Amino acid sequence: MITTFASQQIQSLRRQRIFVALLIALLAMTAVAGVLGWSSHNTITRVYDEAVRLLAADGKPAPPNPFLLKPSLSLLSNMVVYIPLLGALLALVLGHLSLADDEADGVGRLIFSRPVSRTHYVAGKLFAVASVLAAALAGSLLVGIGSLLVVNRAVPAITDLGRLVVFYGLSWLYLMVFALVGMIAVLMTRRTSLALLSAMGVWLVITFAVPQFTSGLRPTESLNPITNPVSTSQRFFQITAFARPYSVAEQYKAASSHILNLVTAEPVAQTIQRVLPIAVLVTSLAIVTLVLVERHDFSRSSSNE
Amino acid sequence: MSSPSSTISVNTATSTPGHRVLVIARHEYRAAVRSRILIVLLGILVVATAASVFIASAEYAGRLADYQAYRAAAEAGGVARIAPSPLAPLSLLRGAMEYLEIIGAVVAIALGYLSVSRERSNRTLPLLLSRPVTPTELAAGNLLGALGVIATLVAVTAVVAMLCVGFIGHDWLNGIQLFKLALAYVAAVAYMGVFYCVGAIAAAKSKVAITGLMIALGIWLVVVLVLPQIGDTLDADNQIPGGLFAALGLGHDGEVRILAHFTTYETIRTSIETASFAKHFERFAFAMTDVKERFRSLSLPDLFFQVRTDIAWILAYSIVLVIGLLRAFRKQPTVPQGGQQ
Repeated sequence: MITTFASQQIQSLRRQRIFVALLIALLAMTAVAGVLGWSSHNTITRVYDEAVRLLAADGKPAPPNPFLLKPSLSLLSNMVVYIPLLGALLALVLGHLSLADDEADGVGRLIFSRPVSRTHYVAGKLFAVASVLAAALAGSLLVGIGSLLVVNRAVPAITDLGRLVVFYGLSWLYLMVFALVGMIAVLMTRRTSLALLSAMGVWLVITFAVPQFTSGLRPTESLNPITNPVSTSQRFFQITAFARPYSVAEQYKAASSHILNLVTAEPVAQTIQRVLPIAVLVTSLAIVTLVLVERHDFSRSSSNE
Repeated sequence: MSSPSSTISVNTATSTPGHRVLVIARHEYRAAVRSRILIVLLGILVVATAASVFIASAEYAGRLADYQAYRAAAEAGGVARIAPSPLAPLSLLRGAMEYLEIIGAVVAIALGYLSVSRERSNRTLPLLLSRPVTPTELAAGNLLGALGVIATLVAVTAVVAMLCVGFIGHDWLNGIQLFKLALAYVAAVAYMGVFYCVGAIAAAKSKVAITGLMIALGIWLVVVLVLPQIGDTLDADNQIPGGLFAALGLGHDGEVRILAHFTTYETIRTSIETASFAKHFERFAFAMTDVKERFRSLSLPDLFFQVRTDIAWILAYSIVLVIGLLRAFRKQPTVPQGGQQ
C-alpha cells in the first residue's frame, strides 16, 4: 500500500508543471555554479599573470599562485548557497503539493472512505517526497561532476567524489526539513495559499532571522558560502550563542563547508555533531506529520470552503 | 478560514472614478490587515528588523561611549585637533534595509497574490465587475490600498528603528539624517510596490492563482537572492578568503591597475547586478543610510547624483510593473479555476 501511494504521488508530481520548472531551475543553478567556478578559476589565473607582470615591472618578486590556496571543490562552493535557497523552495513546493492536491481535489476524502491505514498513507507520501528530492539532488550531483570534468579537464579524485556524495546526502536531509514543513503547513491551515505562505514564513525565519539572533549574521551575509559569526563579546550574543548549535541553517552551511573542504578542517565528530540537530528536526517533523494526518479531517477540503 | 467580511459599497450613480478607486483602496487596506497570514509575515518582518537594529545599536552604544571618553580625555588634555567621530548612526539600519529587501518583498508578493485570489475565491470579482467599476479602477484601487498597507508597515519599522538607535544606541538622528531615512523608506515603499505588482500580475495571469504565487516567489528568489549573489561571487577580489589582491600583496593602486585589464569582465559582472531590481534599491538605501563610508561625507545633491542610475531603475521598474498590473487586471479570469486557491 505504501508503494502504491508513493508511486501515485510521484506520477502526480511529474505532471505538475510548476514542480518540473523548479526542478529544472535547480539543475540549471548547479550548472551556473559550475560556470561561476570556471569564471573564478579563469579570473584568478589571469589576475595572477597580470600581478606577476606588474610586480616584475616594479622589481618585486612574484607571490605564490593564490589558485593553489583554492580547494579543489571550491568550484561548486555556491551550491552551499543555492541549495538552501532554490532547493528549499523546491522542497517546500514538493511537500505542499504532495498533500495540497489531495486536500483541494477531495481525493483525501475518497481515499479515506476506504479501509486505508493513515500511517501507510503518510509513509507513502514521505517515501515519494524523499525519493523525488533524492532524484533531484542526484541530478544536481551529476551536473556538478560534469562541471568539474569540463573545468578541470580531469576526472575528480575519489575523495572529492566521496565528499560530493556526502554533501548531497546532507543536502537531502536538510531539504527534507522544508518538505515536511510544507506538508505540515497544509495540514494545519485550511487554505492552500495560507499553507504555502506559512511554510515560506518558516523558511524565512530559519534561513535569515535565526542566524541573525544566534550569530549576528545580517540577511545578505547568510548568502555567502562561508560566514563568520560575530564575536561573543556582546552580552546579547553571549546568551544567544547557546542556541547556535540548533540553528539548522548555520549548521548545514558550516557542515557543508567542512565536507567540501572549503574551510580549515575540523574533526569528523564535530561535523557529525553539526548534522545531528538537522536529523533530529527531520525525525520530529516526520512524527508531527504522522500525528497531524492521523487527526486530520479529510472530509473537509478547500474546494468546499 | 473565513474570508475578510469587509464590503465594497460603491454608489455607482453618483460616484466618480476617483471615489471608486478610493473605496476599493479602503477595502483592500481593511482586507489586508485582517489577513492572518499577512499579519504573521508582517510580524516576522517587524521583529527581525527590530532585532537587527537592537543588536547593532547595542554594539554602537559601546563604541560611542569609547569615542566620547577619548574626546573628553583629548579636550581635558588640551589637544587641538580631535578626530571626528567615525560612527554613523544611520548605518545601524543596514539590517533593517536588508530585511525590507528580502522579507519585505515576500510580504508584498503575498499582498499582491491575496488581492487577486481573495476576490476570485470569494466569487466577488464577477459581481464587482458587473457594476460600472472598470478593471483599471479595480487595479488602481487595489494598488493604492496595498501601498497604504506597505507605507504603514514601513513607517512602523522606521519608527521602531529610530527609537532603537536613540534609546539603545544613545544617539538621536538629526534633521538631515531623518530626511535621508525618510527617502530610504520612500524607496522601500516603491520597492515593495513593485513586488506587490509582481504577485498580483502572476496571480491574475494564472488560471490557478496559487500557481501564480509560486511563479512570483520564483521570480523573487532569482531577483532578490540569486542575481546579487552571482554578482558578488564574480567580484575578482572575492575569489579567495581574505581577498585576492591582499593575497597577491597588492594595494588599492595595484588592484585598480590590474582591473583595468578586466573591463569586459567587470561590465558583465555589473550587468548581472544591474539586472537585479533589488540591487538598485539596496544601493540607494545604503547610500541614504550611510552604510557605505564613501557616501557619508557627501551632500544630498551629490548623493542623488551618485545614485541617479538606481533612482532611474527604481522608477522605470515601478512604471513598467504598474502598467503590467493594469493590463493583467483587464484580462484576468473572473472565477476560480482548477479547484484550489
